[in-house]
Formats: sequence, structure tokens, C-alpha cells
Amino acid sequence: MSDPAIATEALLREPWDGLKLPEEQALSYQRTGATFGIWIFIASEVLFFGALFLFYTAVRAEHAEAFAAAARETNIVYGTVNTALLLTSGLTAAAASRASEHAALIRLTRWCLVATALLGLAFLVVKGLEYREDIAEHLVPGPGFKLPEASAQLFFGFYWLSTAIHGIHLMIGIGLVARLIVIGWRHPERIPGNPQVEVTLLYWGFVDMVWLFLYPALYLAGRSG
Amino acid sequence: MSAPVSAGAVWRRVLPVWLGLMALLALACAAAYAPLGPWTVAVSFGIAATQALLVALLFMRLDSASALIRLTAACGLFWSAILFSLSLADVLSRLTRT
Repeated sequence: MSDPAIATEALLREPWDGLKLPEEQALSYQRTGATFGIWIFIASEVLFFGALFLFYTAVRAEHAEAFAAAARETNIVYGTVNTALLLTSGLTAAAASRASEHAALIRLTRWCLVATALLGLAFLVVKGLEYREDIAEHLVPGPGFKLPEASAQLFFGFYWLSTAIHGIHLMIGIGLVARLIVIGWRHPERIPGNPQVEVTLLYWGFVDMVWLFLYPALYLAGRSG
Repeated sequence: MSAPVSAGAVWRRVLPVWLGLMALLALACAAAYAPLGPWTVAVSFGIAATQALLVALLFMRLDSASALIRLTAACGLFWSAILFSLSLADVLSRLTRT
């Protein structure tokens, strides 16, 4: 980070003076540590969601027809719109992350953060409409389930569990981005060059990636033939 | 990373990636209705993996990350590969027997 307009002192977190490093170098160390830390967290999250997808793979291999029949019941319009919304939020998140490296681009950073949070909220609204429709169509596993095959309920067990966990992750992401917006509002000098911006938006990118795999698993199966 | 950078330069880096991702989304949606038989699953998850790779490399900047960061990201995939291959070795071998 060599943008001289970045307020290094405002961004350093205590304790940093024990190493007797120049401020710029201390912040660079902190940035490396923050990026390394969030990637360790993301790698552990990959395993967490990996276990969910393993369940899906194993049960789908065993009950391929019931899974195809169940997947046809999900609403592909809501699913595709939501994928587009999340991919666009990934675009604004990546733009915010790149812009935050330059103090001159503080306005772009702010607006991209706001757009990211709003697109995340739009995703949750669409998801809520979809949940309402699913409940009305008796797609909740249990007595009175719409489809006759027992293993179709396993598909919808996965549907509710995985989309709910993904939704919770997205809500946390919206909260973290909103926090950055508030920081940028109150202390504009604390946004350019702040490692927290990159960390938050890396988490956002991961939540994006999870959905990219949920989309074919939940919406694209069983559509042809 | 140096000082004089315009907003346009930022968009020029990320907008083409977004266009590619949206094109892949349209392709995945169309391919799901195509009569590809057993290839449908491979195509839809292959497109998802391509999209995830684009997001990881160009949105999450793994393309310019240090070796340590890339290794950390690869660890998640490595352990997932062990999780999947050992578990599925059991599940799939039971399936073929019955």
C-alpha cells in the first residue's frame, strides 16, 4: 500500500509498537495477518459447507429420480434472479475492495459498499418470497408433504437447511458491510487502506461462492427430459 | 497500487469478470433444459466451479495473492477432497452392490 493519502496512524490497531516498526510497515504486517486470518476462516467454512454438499451428493446418488422430481418443485425464476443479484453484489464488493486502496476513491468505495449491502438485502427479500411460496405449496418435510416419494423430503431437508445457513451467513455479511458504511460515514479517513474492508469483502466473496454451488444443486437438477 | 487511480480503472478490472459470470449463469440455466442426459450434472456443476474460480481469482484477488494465502485457500479444497473421496468410496461402493 503506497498511497500517501492513507491515514496509517488511524488504521493501526494496538498493540503494534512492541515491534518498534515504522507505522507503514506495522500496518502492512497487520494487513497480511488479517488477510491470512480470513482465508483460514474461509478454508474452514469450505469444510463446513463441504459436509453439507457431501450429504447432498451421497443422497442424490442413491435417490436420483426422487431428487430430480423434488428439484423440479423449486422455483427456478427466484433462484436465477437471486444468483444474478449475488453475482452483482460480488461485483460491487470487488470494486469496493479495489477502490478502498486509494484515498481518492473514497466516494466510489462508499457507494459500492452501500450497493453491496442493498443487493444482499434484495437477495433476502427474494428468498423470503420464495420461502412463502414453498410453505404454501407444502414443500416443508413432514406430514402433508406435497410429493409422494419419501426421499424427496430429504431433498427439501437439504434445501431448507442449506438455504437457511447460507441466509444467516449473508445476514452476517450485510451486518459487517453496514458496519463499514457506518465507519466510513463517521470517520471517512478510516476507510482507505483499512484491512477490515478487504477482510469483510473476502467473506462476502465466499458467501457468493457457496450460492454458486447451491444454485445447480437446488434449482438446475431434473429440469431436462 | 500507487496513488493516481481513477474509478474507471477499478471498473475496467471488475466489469468484464461480472459479464463473464452473468454469461455463465445464462449458459447454466439454458444447459439445465438441454437433453444432455447424464452430462447435465457435470455441466451444471462444471459451470458453477468455473464461476467460483473466477470469483476466487479475480474478485477475491487470489490471482495476485501471496503463496501463503493461495496455500491457505487450497487447504480448504484439499481437505474437502479427502472428505469427499473417503466418504463417497464407502457410499458409492454400497450402491453398486445392491
